[in-house]
Amino acid sequence: MAGRSRILFASVVAAGLAWASPVIAHHSAAAAYDETKKVEAQGKVTRVLVKNPHSWVFLEGADAKGEKVEWQIEMGGVTSMAWTKEALPVGAVVKAVGHPSRAPGSHGMTAAVFSKADGTPIGPRSGRGEAPPR
Amino acid sequence: MRASIARLSPKRCAGIVAGALLLAATSGYAARALHAQPETAAPPIPDLTGVWDGSRRSHPINSATSPWAKTLPEGAILPDGTAAGKNYVSNFPELNERGLAFQKIFDEPLSPKYDCQPSTPPALPYDPFPVEITQWPDRVLFRYEKDDQLRTVWLDERQPTARDYGVQGFSVGRYEGNALVMDTTNYVFDITGFDDYNGIPSSSQKKVKERYWRDGEQLKATVTVEDPMFLRKPASYTMRYLPAPKGSKLKAFECDPEAARLSVQFIPPRYK
Repeated sequence: MAGRSRILFASVVAAGLAWASPVIAHHSAAAAYDETKKVEAQGKVTRVLVKNPHSWVFLEGADAKGEKVEWQIEMGGVTSMAWTKEALPVGAVVKAVGHPSRAPGSHGMTAAVFSKADGTPIGPRSGRGEAPPR
Repeated sequence: MRASIARLSPKRCAGIVAGALLLAATSGYAARALHAQPETAAPPIPDLTGVWDGSRRSHPINSATSPWAKTLPEGAILPDGTAAGKNYVSNFPELNERGLAFQKIFDEPLSPKYDCQPSTPPALPYDPFPVEITQWPDRVLFRYEKDDQLRTVWLDERQPTARDYGVQGFSVGRYEGNALVMDTTNYVFDITGFDDYNGIPSSSQKKVKERYWRDGEQLKATVTVEDPMFLRKPASYTMRYLPAPKGSKLKAFECDPEAARLSVQFIPPRYK
């Protein structure tokens, strides 16, 4: 799968693991995301929506069965997202690790840490991800 | 009375008039003399002007335990930047039965923030964004980067009318000693008008009293809320802002409806 020109791969790798988030869980973020778990997705950047109150990164990936899915990754507001212009160009293949969305069958994520397909960290949060303030 | 005046001789009339003039002149002198007494100098108006940083640099980010907390471990940073003591006293609001009932049925997607409706006090001042304060003789302006909100605090003793209801209510204020004290009423009902992390609404009976003062380089604020529709008694927190870096300017927030609403799909539905 790694040899494909387009990596369409995503998997839940560590559901149930404690997430060392540096901020206290937000009630409203906790309503949408499970901050006690983490999920890993890999795919191609199709869109980056740098907006307030929260920005979004869209990845075209695939689920464990190989079915195409769109990952929607919630990020911080505009002021914290300048790095994405260079680091997350449309078409780039990246990996994201963050808290998974709660709704069954959904493919959402927040507090994501990004890296290149080879594992090289991308962006200012190369250490730990933080849920964006609401 | 007319008959009495008619009976007065011209001499007596002139005497009465002269007496009245003397009395008036004496009173005027006395009044001027009173004014000539050394007046107590009015305290200087506190300088609150500037851009203030409300980010996590200044205080913990808003959450289910900040600024309202039932319990906190010793050493936890409080909204005013100090550390909680061993015997932390809860400032969490005491809800009445109606408040508890609303909290129980609260459904996150109802929160109007997902449609870019702005937050209001007591949440707004604590949102982790900068605020710019401008002081004019008849008003103080609070411009919040979060949700591009502008609150005008009238200092000219005007009062709201029944037509002055709005999302941010109507604010009047005054300087008391070293502080700006402001009272805001005329809010509209808001399902998350007290706090969106704990699902507490506010009614058109909500009253918010805010007190802002300088503490060295810091700007401190005490925010007190009363709302007899939902709270048994007023609730209060004290927070701090730090000066924003020199030259800081507020940015346009321009809340985007698509970006604001997207995460609702990730909340497991509570109601069909």
